[in-house]
Order: sequence, then C-alpha cells, then structure tokens
Amino acid sequence: MSTANQREFINRIKMALGKPFAEPRQTEDLFGSGMSAETRSILERVKNRSAADRQKLLETLLEAAQPINLKVIYCDDIGAVTAGIAELVRTKEPEWGSQKSVAAWQHPLIESLNLPDALSGLGVPVVFADLRKTDADSLRRRISGCYIGITSADFCMANTATLVMRTRPGQARTVSLLPSIHIAVIELNRIIADLKELYALLKWDPQESKDGLTNCMTFISGPSKTADIEATMVHGAHGPREVHVFVKNFDS
Amino acid sequence: MYVFCPGGSPGQKVCFGLRASAVKKKVKMTKITTENYVAEARKAIQNQVLQRALADLQNRFGRGTAESYRQLPEGPDLRLKAHEIRMKTIENLDVVLETLAANIRKNGGQVFFAEDGQAAVNYCLEVAQRHKVRRVVKGKSMVSEEIGLNAALIDSGIDVSETDLGEYIIQLADETPSHIIAPAIHKTRHDVGSLFADKLDIPYEDDPPRLTWIARKALREKFLAADMGTSGCNIACAETGHIVTVSNEGNIRMSTTVPKVHVAIMGMERVAARLEDHDMLLRLLCRGAAAQNMATYVSYIGGPRAVHQADGPQEFHLVILDNGRSRILADKEFREMLCCIRCAACLNVCPVYAKIGGHAYGYAYSGPVGAVVTPLLVGINRAKDLCLGETLCGACQEICAVNINLPRMLLALRSKLAEGDAAWGVKPVDRKEKFLFQAWSWIMRHRGLYDAAARLGVMGQKFLTPTDGMIRRLPPPLHAWTKERNIRPLATESFIRRWKKGLK
Repeated sequence: MSTANQREFINRIKMALGKPFAEPRQTEDLFGSGMSAETRSILERVKNRSAADRQKLLETLLEAAQPINLKVIYCDDIGAVTAGIAELVRTKEPEWGSQKSVAAWQHPLIESLNLPDALSGLGVPVVFADLRKTDADSLRRRISGCYIGITSADFCMANTATLVMRTRPGQARTVSLLPSIHIAVIELNRIIADLKELYALLKWDPQESKDGLTNCMTFISGPSKTADIEATMVHGAHGPREVHVFVKNFDS
Repeated sequence: MYVFCPGGSPGQKVCFGLRASAVKKKVKMTKITTENYVAEARKAIQNQVLQRALADLQNRFGRGTAESYRQLPEGPDLRLKAHEIRMKTIENLDVVLETLAANIRKNGGQVFFAEDGQAAVNYCLEVAQRHKVRRVVKGKSMVSEEIGLNAALIDSGIDVSETDLGEYIIQLADETPSHIIAPAIHKTRHDVGSLFADKLDIPYEDDPPRLTWIARKALREKFLAADMGTSGCNIACAETGHIVTVSNEGNIRMSTTVPKVHVAIMGMERVAARLEDHDMLLRLLCRGAAAQNMATYVSYIGGPRAVHQADGPQEFHLVILDNGRSRILADKEFREMLCCIRCAACLNVCPVYAKIGGHAYGYAYSGPVGAVVTPLLVGINRAKDLCLGETLCGACQEICAVNINLPRMLLALRSKLAEGDAAWGVKPVDRKEKFLFQAWSWIMRHRGLYDAAARLGVMGQKFLTPTDGMIRRLPPPLHAWTKERNIRPLATESFIRRWKKGLK
C-alpha cells in the first residue's frame, strides 16, 4: 500500500536532495550487491573455529559478563545444567506472591533438560510456551505469574556478553521478560565474537539467513537496570533482575 | 473533550459518530518555551541540587564516553566512518525509506508517512480509536515529546503512562525531561520519595532500590493492563525492514511486547540502509549514550506477531515523521544535522548544558544538539538564545558519536541571526550590535584611528575607578559587558609606544 501521502513525502525528500523524480536510482552502491571479501573471511572464521578458539571465546564471555552482573556457568554435560537450574529454583524466592512456578521455551535443548521431572520434587510446575495446549492470553497470564523464565538463545556474543534471541513458535518473548529471573541455556558452539559475526551470519549463512532476523530479534546483555534516581545503579527496573547463562559443552 | 468512552459499551454508539470529526480537531502540540531561555538558565544556575547533579553526570558520562571510544578496536576515528555512513544514507533517504516501508509491509506491519506532528498524532489517535484503546504504555521517545503525543492521547481520554523510570517520575511530577537519557537528574531521592508517597499513596521512602521496586510494581500492572504500546526508534534497518529500540530498563521491550497494538514513531532520518551499518552505529550509540559497550536490551522489531507465535503485538504500526526535517535536508549547510542518532553524548560534555541543564532549552532536545536542531525545527528567531548561548568550544563535536560539526552549524545559525535570511525567514536580531562590530572592524583596519580610539579610551577610563586593578562597571552602550564580569583597564601606554621608546 503506497499511499498518496507517501508519494508526497518521498517527493519532498527528492526535492530537498535535488534529485530528479522519475529517474531510476542505483541502489547497489547503497545496499551492496554481494558478499564482500571481509564478510567471506568472517564466515570462514566462524565456521572453522577450533576447540581452543571456542575456549578463548568462553573466557572472553566470562570476562565481559562480570561487570554487567551476568552470571555465566559452564557445564560439561546436560545433567549438570539441570542440577544447576534446580538449585536456583530451590534457593531463589519469588518476587511477587509465594507460589513458585517456572516458564520455559518449547525448544529441543530446553526439553532435553527434563525440567518437569527435575522440579517435580520441589513441587514447582513448568509452564511451556506451547500454544498447542492453550491460547495466547492464558499463556501470557501464566508466564507473568512465573518467577523464573528459561530460554535458549540463537547466539551469544562474547565481546559484550549478549544473548541474541529470535522469536519463533514455542519461543515466546515474554519468557525472558516477565519473570524476575531469566535463565538461558546455550551450547558452547553458539558463542560468537561480536556484532560483525552476527550480522554476517544472519545475512549470508545459508542456514541462519533462512529465518533472517524474524519479526522480533532481541539482544539481552545482563539483567535489567536503571540509574534514574540519583544515578544509583539498581537491577530489575522492568525486566529480570538476574540473568544466568548456562553454557553446555558442545559434543558433536 | 472525550473522543471515546472509557466506560465501554453503553456509550460507544454515541462516540462513533463523533470520531471522524473529533480526530481532525487541532491537537494540542508540545509547548515550546525557547523564549524563556535566559530566565530558565538563571533559575537553573541558582539550583544547587541541579548543579551538583549536572557536574556528577558530566564527570561520569562525559569522561566515560571518551574513554569508551578510546577502547574501541578502531579507536575514536570510528566516529568519522560512522559519519560517512550516516551521510550516505541521508543523501539517499528517499530510496532508503521506501525500502524500509516496503519491507515492513512485507512482514505485515503498517507504515504511515506523516508530514508533520499533527498528522502523526492524528494517525496514532485513529489507531487507538480503532482498537478502543483506553490505556497506553509509552517507551521513552524524544520524537513523541517533539509532537506532543502524550497530551493528545490524554485529551482523548486515554490513560498514558510513561514507563522509563526517569520519565515516569517526571510524569508524576507534571514536569518535562531535563536530559535526553537521564530525564530526572534534577530530582533527589527525597524528591522522588515524597512524590511517590503523594501520588501513589504509600509511606515515604527514599532508598533508590526500594523506590525503583515501587515503580516496577506500579508499572508492571500498567504494562499488563495496557491495550497499546508506543515507542520511538533508535535506528531502523531498511534492507531487513526492522526498527531498533535500545533500553537498559526493559520498559521498551515491555511496551512493544505485551500490549496488542504497537505504534512506533521515528524521525525520518533514523534509519540505516544495511544490517552491517548497525555494527558501528549500535556500538557508538551505546558508548555515546552511557559509555556502555552494549545496552541491556536491543530489539529488532519488524512486524506484528506471526501465526503460532505466543506473544508480540497483533498490529504493528510505524509512523515516519518529517515535521521540518526535509527543510533541514534541503539546506546543505544543515543537512549534516540529520546524521544525529540522539545519543546525548554532547550534553554530557557541554560546559553550557553543565550549568543551565535541560529545561532552559525549552523543547524536546537540549544541549548542543538542541541548540542546533531546535532553531531549525521551531524557528531560528524564536530559539535564537539557544545557539547564542553556546560557547563554540568544540567539545560537542569531539564527543559526538557520528562526529557532527555542531560548532560550524552554531556559527551558521548565528550568522543568519546577524544578517537575516530569507530562505529560513530569519529577521536580523540586533542591528545595534552589527553596527558596533562594523565600526570596530573599520577602526581595526585603520592604524591611526585605532591609536586615537585607544588613547580616547585611556582618557575616558580615568572617570572609572578600578577596584583591585579591574574596572567594575562600563558606561552605556558597553555596560552589558560588565554586567556579569570585570574588565581590565587599558594600558596607559601602548605596547608600540613603549617599544619605540625602548622597552624597559
């Protein structure tokens, strides 16, 4: 729908720029016409990371996580991740009310944690963001009652300790937003270095570019924070006040 | 007047007939108080709390930002590269915006091009009415301050909540923001404590973490009950069709995820052509705004919730606003101003902002960015004091995330104020000043006259009694010079004379 006011608006810009109205414009220069040599080398680098490179990225992540109060826990196997999460569920108290419940993504890695079994001993139910069993409104109500939200992430950028999450069915955005504590579980091979690598992957990697950015891609770097009252840093302004990232060793 | 009925069904039919005409009514725009610059500045200078807060803010953020640029792998020169990218986008804005709009529509979003603030506000009101919106949560956005969106929504009987903690405090206090990213720096914890006690009907507390939690609780209820969320846009991406919002609190994620309608408003210049352009722009934005490597939340939003997705808005609207920007675009002297990504780094180093704070600037944008952009948006004569008040020290350009030459544009505005300018409709401000400077320039160029004038001055100053070697008061027309400062008397014998006599 290209409306009359859009035409007028764009014509005003063309006039301001002194560009002829009718002449077709070259956009290759503006948007680029193919993969650059730099991008190619970035993709090569990401693809051919050795175990040592990955370890180095993990160290970078640990270092970047500290100043932003992001907790990163490295686990050798999936059992350790489940145990770590169960421990958090046991020790952390809910912020609103006294009932403990946990929200989680419908995601292969999260499902492999067997959380419902692991948490049943504590009497804590797990709410999966699964629309097949319930409608969106009641799901949101249930998620907003959860004090811990468990997600995975598409990537984690080591340099800034940033989780990158794309929205998909079963992977609701509110799971990382409404609960007081956000736990993300990722595999070691999802750690990349920085924005350059992320954008190269999203745009040019055959696998990753299929989904592209989706209709909502979110970066999360640590817990929600504010310093609006006398410049005093406080965590948990609106989003989660704690964020824990479990990095699971990648066994291929 | 109520445009719709907050009560719901019984009255709705009555309202229905009113809608079309009600929407077209002249909406109340943001108050522009640029004329009060001097009076407001004076008030701010006397406010000790504000002075301490401003000094503290500049100490932390100004220095922190400069240091964070130095830590960049590319160094502070990355800003020059970013300037090039921004300029290239601005010079192809027609293509870039049409690409953005087409891609957002492809993702199921709706795009509206608004010529001015009123068109943008009317569009938001129409969307609100269509969805029978009663409660709006607002993510922090300077452009919505610019167009007066809050006032218009409230006038229509809609409950509007600011959700950024600083903006929420300001809204409860019924004031305007004093800093682009730290809107409530002029408030102490005691101010906030009393304000919350008064407005939220709770016992007085003044511990910042507790106060933050109180706001978190109050606003959580607002988020969950809201029908519509609004946001700005830090920098859109044309080729993928996404807007990008950046925040530390998570309020913008809340406002754009939970309510069923999301309306984003962006100034037409806030867009990048390619995804990879965001690499340097985001890094510079976060450093410029708060000396951070990355803000806590960055969201790419490209359309409404898709099928089988559990959350996200059911409708996504993007309003692209001109409101005087195409006029800035048309003037090559000021086009560069559209590179600005509103990080507010310039506020954190400006010696003038450090003393007068944000309110004196009288519009949504304060500090050096306000001193250039406000005159261009609201009228150069009307906002003349803003650009006359700056010192031209150049700190703003040095810290600017995209290296905008603000001092050059301040001078260009001043020259228009001195000479008048037909294209911008500027009337010369002070003919007397111009005459004095012309006379001075003429005297300077004539040796004999200059010497005579100097001798006259030396004779004349005999009638002025210096204290501690300084003259306290000059007679008219020069009296304004000594209103705020003393002046050193002229030497009784000029240097050249002494030289000729053989310097002792």
